[in-house]
Amino acid sequence: MNRLAKFSYLAAIYCFLYFPIILLIIYSFNHSIYSLLWHGFTLDWYKQLGDDSDLIVVTLHSLEVGVLAASLATLIGTIAATCLYRYRFFGKHLLHGLLFVLIVSPDIVMGISLLILFFLLNMRLGFWSLLLSHITFCIPFVAVTVYSRLTGLDKNIFEAARDLGASDLISFRRIIIPMLWPAILAGWLLSFTLSLDDVIISFFVTGPDFQILPLYIYSLVRIGLKPELNALCSVMFVITLLIVVIFQLILPKKVNQ
Amino acid sequence: MKSDRLFKGTTISMVWCWLFLFALLPSVLVLIMSFLQNDPTDLFRWKFSLQNYQALANPIYFKVFWHSFYIAGLCSVICLVLSYPFAYVLARLDSKYKSLLLFLVIIPFWTSSLIRTYAIISILKVKGLLNTVLLSLGIIQHPLTILYSSTAVIIGLVYSLLPFMILPLYVNIEKLETQYIDAARDLGANTLTTFLRVILPLTLPGIMGGIILVFLPAMSMFYIPDILGGAKSLLVGNLIQNEFLAAHNWPLGSAVSMVLTLAMGLLLLLYRRANKIGPYYDESIGEI
Amino acid sequence: MRVFCFFMLLLGLFAKAHAKDNVVNIYNWSSYISSDILKEFTKETGIKVNYATYDSNETLYAKLKANPHTGYDVIVPSTYFVDRMRQQGMLRPLDKSRLSNFKNLNPTLLNKSYDPGNHYSIPYFWTLTAIAVNSKIHSPQQLKNWADFWNPHYRNQLLLLDDVHEVFSMALMVLGYSANDTDPEHIRKAYLKLKQLMPNVRLFNNDGVKSLFIDEDLSIGMAWNGDIYQAAQENPALRFLYPKEGFVISIDSMAIPKDALHVNNAYVFINFILRPDIAKKLSLATGYPTPNLAAYRLMPKAILNNAMIYPDAKTLQRGVVQTDVGSAETVYQHYWELLKIGA
Repeated sequence: MNRLAKFSYLAAIYCFLYFPIILLIIYSFNHSIYSLLWHGFTLDWYKQLGDDSDLIVVTLHSLEVGVLAASLATLIGTIAATCLYRYRFFGKHLLHGLLFVLIVSPDIVMGISLLILFFLLNMRLGFWSLLLSHITFCIPFVAVTVYSRLTGLDKNIFEAARDLGASDLISFRRIIIPMLWPAILAGWLLSFTLSLDDVIISFFVTGPDFQILPLYIYSLVRIGLKPELNALCSVMFVITLLIVVIFQLILPKKVNQ
Repeated sequence: MKSDRLFKGTTISMVWCWLFLFALLPSVLVLIMSFLQNDPTDLFRWKFSLQNYQALANPIYFKVFWHSFYIAGLCSVICLVLSYPFAYVLARLDSKYKSLLLFLVIIPFWTSSLIRTYAIISILKVKGLLNTVLLSLGIIQHPLTILYSSTAVIIGLVYSLLPFMILPLYVNIEKLETQYIDAARDLGANTLTTFLRVILPLTLPGIMGGIILVFLPAMSMFYIPDILGGAKSLLVGNLIQNEFLAAHNWPLGSAVSMVLTLAMGLLLLLYRRANKIGPYYDESIGEI
Repeated sequence: MRVFCFFMLLLGLFAKAHAKDNVVNIYNWSSYISSDILKEFTKETGIKVNYATYDSNETLYAKLKANPHTGYDVIVPSTYFVDRMRQQGMLRPLDKSRLSNFKNLNPTLLNKSYDPGNHYSIPYFWTLTAIAVNSKIHSPQQLKNWADFWNPHYRNQLLLLDDVHEVFSMALMVLGYSANDTDPEHIRKAYLKLKQLMPNVRLFNNDGVKSLFIDEDLSIGMAWNGDIYQAAQENPALRFLYPKEGFVISIDSMAIPKDALHVNNAYVFINFILRPDIAKKLSLATGYPTPNLAAYRLMPKAILNNAMIYPDAKTLQRGVVQTDVGSAETVYQHYWELLKIGA
């Protein structure tokens, strides 16, 4: 397969992924409130965004929950996948089943059942109920991603490590984690994405003093999306893109095993 | 080693505690709910009843499940076909920008999916970008009405779920040892045979992972099919949504959810049986 | 990586540490208020507003039902939901003596069957559902009745609201029955009538209706008056027609949940909204008709004369307020599902 064909295909998929986003950015300059056709250039929505401190607070809340939930879910999910792969223990199949149920469960079922659970636990709704729920629904996505990589590993490495006297903890930290690194990172990315965009579950488990961005956007849909939101998404997109690109280009590259 | 047992015990307990509290308990609540009777004023009555499952035995509900199955299946296949070459090329790329490129796959999905769906609407509309371009190029004479049809729904679903297929495939293919491919070549296999006999089986865990992360959510998604499909038909997700919210029939909603879970579980088990591979514990190895 | 997480966790904990006491938690439809009004409220009273939003009555109801301690002080359910929640003891009875501005409300919108005496709810906005049409594409003259929707001329062009009661009320009124009918036989007949309409239906939608009409993806359908009024500002060809058979009126009202945390502040907020100048600002900012008579009198003439928002008294007589249908709800839901499944 020649290089041109390869790169063309990559480029084509990237275009497919980015095209709606580019459109979004263009529309953030559109001089119209509700129409989805082009009506002329304006910076009004960016000005409105700068004035709307509520929207910014809401976005920060979402980012906060997203980072925390993704990180903790990645931790628990990686450990879960490793345990399921390495060990035999009581209730192993049930654990498999639970992870599966978490992915299959429709959002609304999970949202309502978690809400009832928090009620039974007499827990006030707010930041913590939201965070715990987000971590929960992200875990299986990390577990599946990490597991699919684990099954590709050479099992002799574990034997070799044990022969050389490494304890489970050491082999986990020094061997497994580095070898799984791409899967762990992928799991984190998937979890962050899921958390940032979750609407239904968040709706049911969040409290009055902790509003998050996807809920804000979803409930605006009833009336008609404010063009200010296009501006917000454009700004967020450009900032994340810049951060990632700079991060990747400037930091020294990790040597591949 | 004693520290090993401690490590094993701690890690397993940690995972178990979390999942017990936040996965098992809520699931048990749903299970119990599905066997209760519906009550118009109080959502449910504490009385055991099989009426929910009996109601679901009606063939019209089968139609709903089948329709969802078809859409989710089609979406998964398209995602797989689009993602596999992409993940393959990316994973085997010999470039220091590999992880940057991976990040670039997922960054678009950090914008709200709802707003992206509206961007898709603005492309597919009668006066939207697609029609404007095709009309001005003379490729079509009348605007295409893709919006509010199954085609639009599939486009929307594929767009939203693509990274969930790309990432698991990528992490699996990245670990593929070139020596297997080289060995196959040396033994005289052509590209197609190498692919079918060597690469495909080795990357099957990645494919399974991707399909799980795409097909299952696709089965219970409802707002993308609603927005792009015009809400003219009921998919399983809409049905459950409807039962819980509009119909206030939590027991029936729970029952539909349980049936969905069981159906999906059955499929997964059948697949596992048929192939004896996939992301499941390999009994022959024992503990490692 | 781990250090970063713990740092974030600490940051989060710190942020949550300080609780605010002088607060009121409002749970409302989005864009049903402008942030200026909220800021004015805080400036005048010193009470901070936590404004959260929901997108449908059903989700509001489900959340409150699953967990009564949600912590909201003011909610804004629609007519028949007020009825349902009131009957199920989810709402707190209101002490009118604490609402000095209650007298500003339009008496014709008070004391309806969904809440006799308005013991539990205070009208906030009211909306009408009628026929929206793009006069450039279809002649408004041919749309005098809901029944005209069934004309094969409109094949695959109709917008219907994605709400079981709005859609079935339309069919019931066409058949000459009450819009809030509870007779299962009538509901079944309405279902059969609607089945015949399905080939004409392009989509069911409550949201984003404005952009569809403005961009002329849709040219005909049933819609809410506020939506069409705002859409008409960008596309003057749009018309709003009140069918002869009648039309549905929905009143969104403020209510206080039984387990509200800041009841005093809730009363202060509701009374604030009932002030004529505030109600007028609210209506102008959102484009929906106000139930506040004193505010109505302060409105610009151009808006008062606009039949889209304020139809004349004679037309208004054909309007029917939505009420709770009680146990017939399950019948409605059953036929709605059948309609959507296409059985």
